[in-house]
Amino acid sequence: MPLDTSTYNLALLRVDGRRWNELRQQKGQLGVQPSADGSAYLEMGNTKIQCIISGPNERDLSKSTSSASTAPTSNGAGATVAVSIMIAPFATVDRKRRGRNDKRLQEMQTTIASGLAATVQGQSYGPRSTIHISLNVLSQDGSLLACLINAASLALVDAGVPMTDYLVACTAGSTSSYAAADEEADPLLDLNTQEEQELPFLTLATLGATDKVVAMVCESRVQLTRLEGMMATAADGCKGVRDFLDGVVRDKGELMVQEGAIGRGEVVSSMDLD
Amino acid sequence: MPREAEPSQNEKDFILKAVREGHRLDGRALDEFRQLDLKFGDQYGVADVTLGKTRIIAKVTAEVTVPYTDRPFDGIFTITTELSPMASPAFEVNRPTETEVLLSRLLEKTVRRSNALDTESLCLVAGQKCWSIRVDLHVLSHDGNLIDASCLAVVAALRHFRKPDTSMEGDTLTVYTPAEREPVPLSWLHSPFCITFSFFGSISVGEDGEEKDIWLLDTTLLEEQLRVSSCTISMNKHGEICQVAKPGGAPVEAVTVVQCSSLALQKVKDLSDFVDQKLAEDSKHRNKGGLLAELSAENAR
Repeated sequence: MPLDTSTYNLALLRVDGRRWNELRQQKGQLGVQPSADGSAYLEMGNTKIQCIISGPNERDLSKSTSSASTAPTSNGAGATVAVSIMIAPFATVDRKRRGRNDKRLQEMQTTIASGLAATVQGQSYGPRSTIHISLNVLSQDGSLLACLINAASLALVDAGVPMTDYLVACTAGSTSSYAAADEEADPLLDLNTQEEQELPFLTLATLGATDKVVAMVCESRVQLTRLEGMMATAADGCKGVRDFLDGVVRDKGELMVQEGAIGRGEVVSSMDLD
Repeated sequence: MPREAEPSQNEKDFILKAVREGHRLDGRALDEFRQLDLKFGDQYGVADVTLGKTRIIAKVTAEVTVPYTDRPFDGIFTITTELSPMASPAFEVNRPTETEVLLSRLLEKTVRRSNALDTESLCLVAGQKCWSIRVDLHVLSHDGNLIDASCLAVVAALRHFRKPDTSMEGDTLTVYTPAEREPVPLSWLHSPFCITFSFFGSISVGEDGEEKDIWLLDTTLLEEQLRVSSCTISMNKHGEICQVAKPGGAPVEAVTVVQCSSLALQKVKDLSDFVDQKLAEDSKHRNKGGLLAELSAENAR
């Protein structure tokens, strides 16, 4: 059912009441699964992701035939990142069965795996080890790929895997329909399902708060002139997401100090955090 | 699982150093394509694309089937890719590699999702009969840049294809043989082409040490094995992006991606002109006595 986005021009407010450059409400939590090596839970609006990390452990050859997508880190000299996505049947409004060989999911897995491989410093683990990242989609409401990337980043921090920076992602759309070349069309940040179905959009993953593009996926028809604006908006969104993820990690650290899990300044003094 | 033979350390160092200095092994400029050739078969809908040593054949077939129940007014359009062991020892039968999955997804997004073929025009009787158009893509030889070459082959084959003419009289649907009526072309809306940029890290230029990303167009297999990341941009000649995919890999400056996209438009226009010209040559060749216009049952609109 298409949504009428033509009302946007009247009040410059989107269907859920946001302005063009506002992110949705976000919520993040580290260490939600105590038995795992690392875990995180992330909500961006109504998209809810749980990420569980096991490893790094020795590569299990019997598991290499599973549906996970893999990517080697540090030019094959480091650990391998293996990503598998599971979408719960109750994640969307219409309950549907997905086959194991869904090419769209496989493509997303590959994008996430090779995107994370660019940031994970895997050389300390050696080439025969694998970091398994399983992403569970509990609820789906737009910006799925972006949310999966962010959740995986957060969980990797919890697992204590060394990374150069957070890999953060965000979507941006454009209010013009793909054929129209109207110049006053606004770019929109962080789309939900309704907007994704209606508008052309792209997902951009950057390395922390820089403008370095690690992954970029655009699946809709859009004018070339729109691209730059959409990318700039998405990059701004990525900065916001990075700040948010960083806040979640710092809050968790603060909590651990309060609970006495680690002493204040115990490890921190020997490391330059900023 | 067999793997592609990795280039030796000497080869790697040599090629990477040469690329940093702006040279390529085969003497091309960094943004230059290899020799591109497109041949059409005797049948309609067969395109044979040769790009350097990469060779791809696309064949289009049509049959009348029942449409999907959730889409009674649409025809069926599928693209199947096959990377056989003939093309490269790294490919296995009946076991889609990651390359194959990504290739078929890219073609699907570029050609199918961008509505290059009007699927509604394939409907014959709503909910009962429709055309099913199927493109089979065979990679005969793999020497890099499969994506660009495959996309060109698929688009050329579909534009060359003619489906049998049909007519409805009351409740009877008649499909005419080519002898009875000249076959008709598909309802084609726009021609998207893929351009793949391969990145090889960055070098510093100028006194202020500004970083500049190095990228190549139309990489050979050897160059493809050495690249740190790639970005595929699909566009038509009107400047509409149909799909952009940079599936992970080493980070690239956002400015570079924007620059690449405007260069892609230029290349897409070249490819578009190339295909138009080859199609015109082919139709001239087929239309020997100038009789094709008389054979056609189509009315001028």
